[in-house]
Amino acid sequence: MQKFIRIDMATLKHEITDVPEKYAGLGGRALTSSFVNDEVIPTCHALGKNNKIIFAPGLLSGTSAPNSGRMSVGAKSPLTGTIKESNTGGSSSQMLAKMGIKAFVIEGKPSDDKFYVIKLDMNGVTIEPAPAEILGGCGNYDAIRILGGKYGSHVGIAIIGPAGEHRLPSANISFKDPEGNIRSAGRGGLGAVLGSKNVKAIIIDETGASKVPVADPEAFAAASKVFAKALLDHPVAGQGLALYGTDVLVNIINEAGGLPANNFTGGRIDYNDNFSGETLNATITERGGDGKVSHGCHKGCVIRCSQWYPDKQGKYITSGFEYETIWGLGADAGIKDFDTIAYIDRAMDDVGVDSIEVAVAVATAMEGGLIPWGDGEKVLEIVKDMANPTPLARIIAGGTSIVGKVCGLYRVPVVKDQAIPAYDPRAIKGIGLTYATTTMGADHTAGYCITGNILKVGADIDPLKKEGQIEYARAMQIGTAAIDSTGMCLFVYFGIADSPAGYQALIDMINAQYGLSLTSDDLDELGKNVLRVERDFNKRAGFTNSHDRLPEFMEYEPIAPHNVVWDFSPEEIDEVMKF
Amino acid sequence: MMENSSKTIELRGFLQLDAFLKKKFGTMPVFLEIDGPISGLELSKQLEIKRDDIEVIFVNGFVQQVDYIINPGDRVAFLPPGCPGPYRIALGFYGKNQGNEANFKLKKDT
Repeated sequence: MQKFIRIDMATLKHEITDVPEKYAGLGGRALTSSFVNDEVIPTCHALGKNNKIIFAPGLLSGTSAPNSGRMSVGAKSPLTGTIKESNTGGSSSQMLAKMGIKAFVIEGKPSDDKFYVIKLDMNGVTIEPAPAEILGGCGNYDAIRILGGKYGSHVGIAIIGPAGEHRLPSANISFKDPEGNIRSAGRGGLGAVLGSKNVKAIIIDETGASKVPVADPEAFAAASKVFAKALLDHPVAGQGLALYGTDVLVNIINEAGGLPANNFTGGRIDYNDNFSGETLNATITERGGDGKVSHGCHKGCVIRCSQWYPDKQGKYITSGFEYETIWGLGADAGIKDFDTIAYIDRAMDDVGVDSIEVAVAVATAMEGGLIPWGDGEKVLEIVKDMANPTPLARIIAGGTSIVGKVCGLYRVPVVKDQAIPAYDPRAIKGIGLTYATTTMGADHTAGYCITGNILKVGADIDPLKKEGQIEYARAMQIGTAAIDSTGMCLFVYFGIADSPAGYQALIDMINAQYGLSLTSDDLDELGKNVLRVERDFNKRAGFTNSHDRLPEFMEYEPIAPHNVVWDFSPEEIDEVMKF
Repeated sequence: MMENSSKTIELRGFLQLDAFLKKKFGTMPVFLEIDGPISGLELSKQLEIKRDDIEVIFVNGFVQQVDYIINPGDRVAFLPPGCPGPYRIALGFYGKNQGNEANFKLKKDT
């Protein structure tokens, strides 16, 4: 029987129960969003006692299914004021699933200022004061090492950095990966929510846990084999992500004229080769040492889009060096040196902030005159200052919307106060519709999954034209909401979208694990239900269709080289969420 | 910057073609003279780029199928399979790739 755990930080007591019946068939995002919509007062302050934060592995997490190690974290976001689901790799999701923990919830708020460490193991829950040495400015890398020394190197760790302790709106939650490095539930400021509950870290010790039960092991193994083959046979896994990471997109999006540059005033740069995926690969290969061109963020990952980026002496700087971070610092903020970008990425992981939100905030601050354009050393200094935040560090970690207001700017690239990432909506219109309408604030991962519906309109899609884009954005968001509920990495869809057998194998694995007979229509309906639940929360929090809009400047500032503006009417945008 | 020649194209290769063209020409981008209009397919043959290494080409920032006609003065990029899925749809690769037997296509079973 799976367990549902509630931890009340007001009383420092916990309760372990059976899983409520209404959540029994849910996992990942479907579970976190349903819970938040059920139990969090939509109008509450995100950092107040009425917010609750929930951690849930996906439906397939903990099994042998490839790429199924993702964890969803949900709460009301202090950055956007909307519902938020942010998900991550690392080891914790698989451990929780093996321990039979369907989800755990942290609620309430201590009356004092002490920070705590929560430990989950097969004996239950313990709450103890956080070690002093990991508080007050200690970075995540050191804190994870110290906690590993105390609790054992085998444990999973979720932790907030100093930014979370200070409840800054871009604070993320970091998760230890298999090598002790950092993955992040990055977006929406959920680290600030955990910080508001005075929880510094969560230790997950699976010692004594058994395997995740599977109703039909033979069918599961057969489906898993087909699924893995579909992923591995696909060029995006074998030729794209494994060799160049997500950074492969720098050259592609730049060539398409959709790479936002200099705070979204241009769509193409001429120094893209400084930090392209191809350069990433060549640099890691040339430097050797700790460098790894390809790396999995959790056990069972066969796509391996992560990498270890080393310095000139071959010493590890950072991993999970993503396109959106590199774009934000490189193209949007004009920092041309790849190593400097890597050090800033590491510093952001270390203080525990969302590397997209902060990168875009930095570029906006550059336009506002707070930081010289392209000054990577100054940015690195400011990010490090977030550990014991100066006023400027607080402003930048406050996120792009706050920076825009502080600087008196109208060109502020946000939707629902969350920074727009890496793909300019004027030149890639389908993604713009997702940015406008997603329940999460601007989020490229909200519309990632290609479904059968997309194939019907995909042949007509031109990135610069409107035709087919509404259907595209709708289907992609529905598919993503479903896949976010399985514990699968979104990147599996890169492979199985081209493979009906691979897609069916994903459904077959869920059916084999739970003894169900779901169809692709059921998975589609799951995705729709997730979006309905999230929109219901947002509506009760005060959001209307008028919030589903891109920043106005995109309507009258054409972006080069195609010189296009955002031209969807409000009525057209509102069609996306009609299903 | 585009070199000032009426016969020149500005050429790039992505993914493995980046290293391929850098090795072949020693620079990126490559400024290449062509005698006149030429199809992307023919150009790729002249450059000894394998057909399987091209999903689509970019011409002046627009996604085109591999046999699209390239003219002097154009900015061209060869893109192999490997671009992550949503962007293949969002950028129009799928639409331009319908009749391309050499490249992987949506709906192709494993």
